[in-house]
Amino acid sequence: MRQLIWLHEDCLRASHNLFDHAPEAQAVFIWDDKHMNTMHFGLKRRVFIYESLCQLPVEIYAGDTATSLAQLAQEVQGIVTGKTPNPALREIMATLREKKKLSVIADVPFVQMDSPPDLRRFFKYWNKAKKHAFSYDGRP
Amino acid sequence: MDALEKSFPDRAALIAHVKSLSPGYDDELVSDMEGGRAAAEAALAQIDPIAYGRNRNYLDGAVTRLSPYIRHGILSLNEVRNHALQMGEGKAIEKFIQELGWRDFWQRIYAQKPDWIWADIEDYKTGFAADDYADALADDIAHGETDSAAMNHFITELKTTGYLHNHARMYLAAYIVHWRRIKWQSGAAFFLNHLLDGDPASNNLSFQWVASTFANKPYFFNLDNLQKFAGMQAPCDYHSNKCFAGTYDDVAMRLFPNIEAL
Repeated sequence: MRQLIWLHEDCLRASHNLFDHAPEAQAVFIWDDKHMNTMHFGLKRRVFIYESLCQLPVEIYAGDTATSLAQLAQEVQGIVTGKTPNPALREIMATLREKKKLSVIADVPFVQMDSPPDLRRFFKYWNKAKKHAFSYDGRP
Repeated sequence: MDALEKSFPDRAALIAHVKSLSPGYDDELVSDMEGGRAAAEAALAQIDPIAYGRNRNYLDGAVTRLSPYIRHGILSLNEVRNHALQMGEGKAIEKFIQELGWRDFWQRIYAQKPDWIWADIEDYKTGFAADDYADALADDIAHGETDSAAMNHFITELKTTGYLHNHARMYLAAYIVHWRRIKWQSGAAFFLNHLLDGDPASNNLSFQWVASTFANKPYFFNLDNLQKFAGMQAPCDYHSNKCFAGTYDDVAMRLFPNIEAL
């Protein structure tokens, strides 16, 4: 099944396991000026991201993210991307899902929680997380 | 659609290309800190998590500067943790691992409570209401021309390098919110614009912690503390930083006159 990998600004790593889900697929990054303005990315950040992209197996296209991805994905059956908490990116994912099968792949977790932690204060989270935070996990 | 160029003769050519794609930003400075996996791995090879545990609060302490790479997924928290585990164990690296936990904590909140990122999570505990704080960042802060030489130093460093030590971020955030009584959201947007590692969750929720809208009390400091942790890196003399002088009680009475004690 031909697929397209959508790299966004939260998953700029060739060893991210999203690449394992579509090893032959073309990867793309959409240089979306409007989105970067929404994210408050100044020139320093834009240069940092572009430099990072130049070291990755990815093609860069300029344009609106959802529109560009819809165009680039016309000939493929599905899109693979990295999981993110960013609501702006999740909204784009929801739009893509209306037209294509979208696989959202999570990064290797820092800790596995047995039950959801109380997120009102850090130390309530940490008292649960520290049981696993010192365990070696060989995945990249 | 045509793909954009990825091969450049040097960094200056890459920067010129990015400027051409970034209308409205072409007069901003660019950081010397390079993006990409190669620079990330070089930075990871330099970390000293044991020294970090001892002296991280000092501006010349053994901080790693890995945050921009972690922010953009160039390094995973897991591989940074694995690397640290090869360099020490237990208490010796606890503070370093805990700092990675802060990143994980903020991201979990971001996923579960995206509405918390730009809205006050709780009321201010400063004796003031949200409406008592100005909406816009003052020009002298944006330009690094405040009445504090130390804050001007941090602002210039932020705008020039795209990086600030965490303690300097706390000082500057507290100065914006408590000394200048400006809404934390304006300070957070200013930081996001310049920080290479600026993340809506880590940055904004830390601002809310400083402001006290995500903490039981406001974070503030005095000149003694500033001189102890930043004195070797920033101009922290009394005459150019008078607004921070005094005991914690003195400073609290000036900043939060409507409350009796913190």
